Amino acid sequence: MRPFRSLSARLTVQFALLFAVAMLAVSAALSSVISGAASREVQSQLQSSGAVYDRLWQQRAHELQNAAQLLAHDFGFRAAVASGDQATMQSALGNAAARLRLRSAFIVTAEGKVSSIDPGVTRAETASLWDPLDDGRQTGVSVLAGRPRQLVAAPIMAPTLIGWVVFASDLDQREMRGLERLSAIPLHAAVVVYDKGRWAEASGSMSALDAGAFNLAQAHVGHPASFEMDVGGTRSIALAKPLPTFSGGEHAILLLAYPKAQALADAHKLQLALAAMTLLGLLLVAYATWKAAGRITQPLARLDEAAGRLASGEHVQVRVRGEDELARLAASFNEMVGKIAEREQRITQLAFNDVLTGLPNRTMFQQQLDHAFRAAVGNGGLFALHCLDLDQFKVINDTLGHPAGDALLVEAGRRVQQAARGHFVARLGGDEFVVLQSVGDDRNAIDRLARDILDAMAQPLAIDGNELVPSTSIGIAIAPQDGSDGQTLLRNADLALYRAKEAGRGTYAFFEESLNERAQERRQLETDLRLAIERGEFELYYQPLFDLEQNRICSFEALIRWNHPMRGQISPADFIPVAEDTGLIVPIGAWVVREACAQAAHWPEHIRIAVNVSPVQFHRGTLNETILRALADTGLAPARLEVEITESIFLDGGDATLKLLHSLRSLGVRVALDDFGTGYSSLSYLQSFPFDKLKIDRSFIQNLLTRDGASAIVRAITELAHALNIETTAEGVEETAQLMELRAHGCSSVQGFLFAEPMDASDVDKLFREDKVAMVQNVA
Amino acid sequence: MVRRISLFAAALGLAAPLTAAPLTVRVIDASGRPVRDAVVTLYPAGGAARSAHAGGRYVISQQNMQFHPFLTIVPVGSDVSFPNFDNTKHHVYSFSPAKKFELKLFAKDQSRIVHFDKAGVVALGCNIHDQMSAFIVVTDSAWTARTNGQGLVTFSDAPNAPGHLTVWQPYLRAPGGQIVQAASPAQRSATFQVRLRQPPSSMAMTDY
Repeated sequence: MRPFRSLSARLTVQFALLFAVAMLAVSAALSSVISGAASREVQSQLQSSGAVYDRLWQQRAHELQNAAQLLAHDFGFRAAVASGDQATMQSALGNAAARLRLRSAFIVTAEGKVSSIDPGVTRAETASLWDPLDDGRQTGVSVLAGRPRQLVAAPIMAPTLIGWVVFASDLDQREMRGLERLSAIPLHAAVVVYDKGRWAEASGSMSALDAGAFNLAQAHVGHPASFEMDVGGTRSIALAKPLPTFSGGEHAILLLAYPKAQALADAHKLQLALAAMTLLGLLLVAYATWKAAGRITQPLARLDEAAGRLASGEHVQVRVRGEDELARLAASFNEMVGKIAEREQRITQLAFNDVLTGLPNRTMFQQQLDHAFRAAVGNGGLFALHCLDLDQFKVINDTLGHPAGDALLVEAGRRVQQAARGHFVARLGGDEFVVLQSVGDDRNAIDRLARDILDAMAQPLAIDGNELVPSTSIGIAIAPQDGSDGQTLLRNADLALYRAKEAGRGTYAFFEESLNERAQERRQLETDLRLAIERGEFELYYQPLFDLEQNRICSFEALIRWNHPMRGQISPADFIPVAEDTGLIVPIGAWVVREACAQAAHWPEHIRIAVNVSPVQFHRGTLNETILRALADTGLAPARLEVEITESIFLDGGDATLKLLHSLRSLGVRVALDDFGTGYSSLSYLQSFPFDKLKIDRSFIQNLLTRDGASAIVRAITELAHALNIETTAEGVEETAQLMELRAHGCSSVQGFLFAEPMDASDVDKLFREDKVAMVQNVA
Repeated sequence: MVRRISLFAAALGLAAPLTAAPLTVRVIDASGRPVRDAVVTLYPAGGAARSAHAGGRYVISQQNMQFHPFLTIVPVGSDVSFPNFDNTKHHVYSFSPAKKFELKLFAKDQSRIVHFDKAGVVALGCNIHDQMSAFIVVTDSAWTARTNGQGLVTFSDAPNAPGHLTVWQPYLRAPGGQIVQAASPAQRSATFQVRLRQPPSSMAMTDY
């Protein structure tokens, strides 16, 4: 069966088919029973007609026999027969035949002489009767003068057998008609006989029986069952009864036929009615099934339609009718729709809102930003994107813990929202917030909002008993001038935020195109830096440090130079921050350590090498291993290596930094504190770590001769170092007067252009080769 | 009765020509069983053996609604008396061509005499009692005898001459009730196979 698109059609067809099969089976069975019963009825009627004919036959035979016997017993008749008195015999026969309404009667004597009253019957025919008569045959059918006749004989005893009286009754149309009239059904009766080598209908109402019919009749002779044959062109149900014949060579059959159409007419009427009822029943079943299917499928169709609408996002409800399974399904569907709506809302909230602050999240911000761009294109208006970042949030988070950080974020969100009421506020993640501000003609509104936010954020705040004064930096980009799409605008606002942070925290900055250029330059630098490591574009320069006590060079500070293939030499001040930001400082620093150690290994044994180490190397890299490897590879004595650090490594490090410094010291490596006197310059560091050297920042040296305070500070530092047994080096010494002053203060060593500029490795080698003494003399 | 016929045959034999010899005739039925009470007659050619004179008196009584005896062979010219020993009357008749007669209603202890002067078989009946039946064979040949239990008849002095033999039996099935067969001079035996009709059941065949 091909698939149906409609359930009701399928139900209708399937049930209707099922019923149809059942009804057709029942109808077929009934029809078969009806026709069987009709056939049996016809058969039984034919048989009873046959039986009637039997009785008629016997009755007639009996009647004739009585008459024949009566005649045969008559003494006068016997005397006449015995004496061959023809006249008497003829008259006696004629008399009896007239009384019995017979046309033929004979006397056959024992000697074979025949006396007949029927001139139509030949002598040969009557002579042929002698044998069966002599055989004792007293009744049977025989054909005489071309007509079948029922013969009845009675012996004439005088007292021995002298002959027979034979009466012949015609089996003619009249007799057959009588039989037909006696029958309960309108049948046709006929006697067919086998005479002179062929079958012929001898009498009866059937006409034009052909050879086939005779053969058929002969084949069914004596069978109690009826058979079918054509009678006069009409299909008939027939019964063949054998009739007793007078002589052995003859055959006679009584054929009873009943036109089939007539016989089965009633049955056919019944079958027609049955067929009509079956058809009606089928139509009723189909209709009822269709209606029932409709009752089931209509609610289903409604649910189907509602489900389709639900799929397209509509929140639909279906009507609930009744209390059956379909009604429960509809109710469940409604409930499901409600829950889906609820869940959708929740998912939307999760998808578009930040869980911590409840503010819209980055996703929603992106949508809002796109929307703002579309709106701006539409009405030609401006809008500003403020990017906020809490200053020092990482420090607060680290020192006070994450719950405190979260509390700060929640409060910050609340404050921004309050300050920027009427504008879209979102949290992008971490301590990053954004405000989308629609701007009319008044561009100053942007500045006002930024200031409002900064003011609101700067209010003191108590978290876990600690009072905080949060500070915020804001970068602002204005669309569409600072970016024609959301991504660009956000990036530019971020650049502006960096600028604000650079400018000092707690302020705001607008994006300028130069920021973008700087950023691009920086990105290019970053790319080039990576290549530079691979290509070996770095080179080390060495600046000597002069020992004032021994009056000789005691050490070199390794300074990195970058020989850029396109831009020439690039200052470390330009690329070191980039290297630190990107982490490239780690491989670069490692190279520096290795290279410096390798050079220093060729130098005289009292010459040390000083290497600058970035805080990033301290925190991220495996500095310890790098130094160990370099020392091992070059064979440089650890005591000849000096690591210069700045105070900034203590800002983020803590115990881990100290631990690393101690492990370096335990290797024998010296540790110097660079740029001493600037920055935080916490003296507690000096207490917590045994530095080998303090390098006094060049700013003090430059002011040494011009400011009184500077000299005092330098002296204080040298005295403090001396007290702590720490060497001191003065950086940036350019004048002899400075040298004199420093020597007076007891500074251990000096470094600066006064003695030597940084030089490459070959110049260092040359210096050692030419004249050590000259060096010394020169300095002295 | 048997003896009387033998004597009669012996008497006939005395008159026979010297050129005589025995002739045995055997009568059997369709299935080969011997047939008794068949009357066999030899007619020599030329009528030489005809008995010219009648002989004696014969009695056929009616007793217990039967004729006694059932079969009687008499020479032409014999007289046969019919005494009635029953309490009822009898109406004895014959339609046979050899002798047609009627003895109408004669009562007990009455007797009638009929003279048989023509050779042939005479079938006797009673018009009142259908079951009564008897036969008289009136013969004009000296060589006439009935078959015994073995179906045999023997003529000890049959003439050595051509002739013909006839066999008659009350229930023999043949037109005229008899069969004729030619006999050659040197023939010493003959066999007749006959078909018999079933005798009427009421007829007692043993009592003669």
